[in-house]
Amino acid sequence: MVTFACLYAEHMKTIIEPFRIKSIEPIRFNTPEERVGILREAYYNPFLIHAGDVLIDLLTDSGTSAMSSGQWAGIMNGDESYAGSPSFFRFRKVVQDITGMPEVIPAHQGRAAEKILFSILGGKGKYFASNTLFDTTRANIEFTGAEGVDLLCEEGKHTTVPFPFKGNIDVPALKKFIEEKGAENVPLVIITITNNSGGGQPVSLQNIREAKAVCAAFGVPLYIDACRFAENAYFIKQREPGYSEKTVKEIAQELFSLADGCTMSAKKDAFANIGGFLAMRDPELAQQCRNLLVITEGFPTYGGLAGRDLEAIAIGLEEVLDEHYLQYRTRSIAYLAGKLSDAGVPVMLPAGGHAVYLDAKGFLPHIPVDQYPGQALACALYKAGGVRGVEIGSLMFGRYDADRKLVPAQMELVRLAIPRRVYTQSHIDYVSEVVMEVFDGRNTVTGLRIVEEAPVLRHFTAKLAPVN
Amino acid sequence: MTTPGQRKKALQEAGFNTFLLRSEDVYIDLLTDSGTSAMSDSQWAGMMQGDEAYAGSRNFYNLEKVIREVYGYQYIIPTHQGRGAENILSRILIRKGDIVPGNMYFTTTRLHQELAGGKFEDIIIDEAHDPESEFPFKGNVSLDKLDKLVQQYGAGRIPYVSIATSVNMAGGQPISMNNLKELRAYTSKHNIRIIHDMTRVAENAFFIQQREKGYEKKSVAAIVREICSYTDGATMSAKKDALVNIGGFLAVNDWHVFEEARNMVVVYEGLHTYGGLAGRDMEAMAIGIQESVSDDHIRARIGQVIYLGEKMIDYGIPIVRPIGGHGIFVDAKKFLPHIPQDCYPAQTLAAEIYLDSGIRTMERGVVSAGRKANGKNYYPKLELVRFTIPRRVYTQAHMDVIAESTLRVYERKARIKGLTMVYEPKYLRFFQARFQKL
Repeated sequence: MVTFACLYAEHMKTIIEPFRIKSIEPIRFNTPEERVGILREAYYNPFLIHAGDVLIDLLTDSGTSAMSSGQWAGIMNGDESYAGSPSFFRFRKVVQDITGMPEVIPAHQGRAAEKILFSILGGKGKYFASNTLFDTTRANIEFTGAEGVDLLCEEGKHTTVPFPFKGNIDVPALKKFIEEKGAENVPLVIITITNNSGGGQPVSLQNIREAKAVCAAFGVPLYIDACRFAENAYFIKQREPGYSEKTVKEIAQELFSLADGCTMSAKKDAFANIGGFLAMRDPELAQQCRNLLVITEGFPTYGGLAGRDLEAIAIGLEEVLDEHYLQYRTRSIAYLAGKLSDAGVPVMLPAGGHAVYLDAKGFLPHIPVDQYPGQALACALYKAGGVRGVEIGSLMFGRYDADRKLVPAQMELVRLAIPRRVYTQSHIDYVSEVVMEVFDGRNTVTGLRIVEEAPVLRHFTAKLAPVN
Repeated sequence: MTTPGQRKKALQEAGFNTFLLRSEDVYIDLLTDSGTSAMSDSQWAGMMQGDEAYAGSRNFYNLEKVIREVYGYQYIIPTHQGRGAENILSRILIRKGDIVPGNMYFTTTRLHQELAGGKFEDIIIDEAHDPESEFPFKGNVSLDKLDKLVQQYGAGRIPYVSIATSVNMAGGQPISMNNLKELRAYTSKHNIRIIHDMTRVAENAFFIQQREKGYEKKSVAAIVREICSYTDGATMSAKKDALVNIGGFLAVNDWHVFEEARNMVVVYEGLHTYGGLAGRDMEAMAIGIQESVSDDHIRARIGQVIYLGEKMIDYGIPIVRPIGGHGIFVDAKKFLPHIPQDCYPAQTLAAEIYLDSGIRTMERGVVSAGRKANGKNYYPKLELVRFTIPRRVYTQAHMDVIAESTLRVYERKARIKGLTMVYEPKYLRFFQARFQKL
């Protein structure tokens, strides 16, 4: 539980956490020797480690935020009526205020909101364009028989090229794409802000405006995957000419004013442990969405969430627009990335909004891709300091060809995602110490092989063993 | 509190559908017992101990342990609510053209069976369709009806028999242990699974304790465990018996089904150690499950429902007998005999009760039953208004107000006119349909 106390003073160079801690969750310590045994029992897959055995959990920033005292008070105020709960109306008002979209549909999480939208608009012969589709979004699109296409700007494809908006969509390519496929076969274009799969990199307002112009010329709706909209809006304020004097809320409102709808996992920028929503301008599409919502999610005024969760989301959406918070958030991530980079550790630069990405290929050049260097690095970090990150490489995205030979992913990364308002600077210092220790002893890290795997989404449950 | 004038306006705005009322305009909310329970102090303490890790949260392991202990199922996957579990299970077990027999339909359950390509067949005993029959176990299955289906389609076309404890659409009526044992023997012989829709299993167990020979001295907890032992897996909406505001799970004893479900849950719900729930909600569920099988709790719970039901019977109001576990089901066909089923007598009655006193109830008749695949309406024999009692929320004084208000409406019943439907959604129409007064 976290209480905001604006102790930030502009003339000091130290940025403090803009809150103090009201309620704590103890960390259980274990030794490197114990962790060797835990890793073995978890088959060298961090997803299978019990959370109680993790010292610093950087597996994801999704649903892992600390709620504020205000949100906990909202939790107690939740109205659990099945239909027409006042908690829903409060939630809807906040979403309408930020997005300007009249139709607001709650869902138990972001992937459920996407599922509904794409089941209606997708289907064989349809194409969805994006800067980069997040993996569950892509899965939901492909499940309907439609195709998802990433049109990321060139700068975004290079890990160390400095560019302020590496999440931008390639607008000329978008125009060409719609012309080729035919506007009638492109039900919508969706821009992910920030661009999660591309390292949490922001998209500029200018880019969204240009994308909107192209979409509008063809009559194609523009949607926003808004999970990290506040982090993106803060980057715009920092980096885009003409926005430094605007509030983050004004920037967010301007951004959403260009869109026809959005999907949101409230487990990221709304500081909620559960929840999501779909918002849009088209009332007829909204009614179709509600008709599907009742099948898998719940009645339209609760969408599979407790009333108290709707309250917590509403309050979280207001809190995330606090600029002291966003400064602390983005700076603490840049701080970790900078510290590691200065020590020679290969990391993705500039740092994104929610995570630091280690380049495992550069980190462990002696481990071939078919021995999963990313997974080996994630295990080494856990062993050294109890830090849990996640492999984003060939274990997650690799495929086999006809001869059962591994077709590796484009990049071998380890993501250290920072939960919101959970860890302090000393935790972050500890993490960098752990990474540097592993970096110093990197020659002793060995590769892994898969001993058991599921046919789909294998990274969640795969069992591995050391090569030697 | 609202005035009659305000309620009239609210009802018009809601298209005479109680689902579309704002809960602020409701005085006593009997729409559902789902997710509306009051949590205990222990559950709230558990809420504060949520471990919100994406993978391997300790709350998950605690929930898994509790489900194994209390219900005896081996493999558990949490889901955000019951329908999430139904969706996954139906997709795994049902093939196109399969037949799914069950002890009466339930709205979301049947829809998921149909969307997976199956066809629901009702095999509940005939007494269940007779609101006046005093048979103590109106949730029982007719083995003759099941045998006919097996003869007609072959056991290979029946992936499982769906057994609800207790049967919601029949008025919260229980199935007997003896009937379940016979069903187990029959299905084992034909190699057919039993899937348990266990959302009110503790309430069903209480009725077995009260009514079935040989169970008088057994605890509700022991009876619950025995019920589960005759089934192969379960879907659970924990929003009922288990006293939580959100949550559910899928539980199976078959490793292969579990493995498939674990792969599928990531797509629809979330990773298999959280299934779309916050860690704190899994903790509240684990504690609620343990509280739900306490004899004292269930006795007070069902005692309150019976108190209300007996009061209505004293007033001469036609209700489904015997009184069920989670609510009172008023027989709208008898209450409003002058309104034909095409003019929605139960929908009409629910609207009138709201108008009288601000009490919100739910239609469970022709609107809820929906349409068949060929577009024709299902015409259920039971045309009911459900007065569902949330657990641990209202007091005896509230029950008195409910009975008195229903009596007032009963006294002016001859002047009540039916409704016509002006908006009908494709799926689960009762949620969002709109009506006008005739």
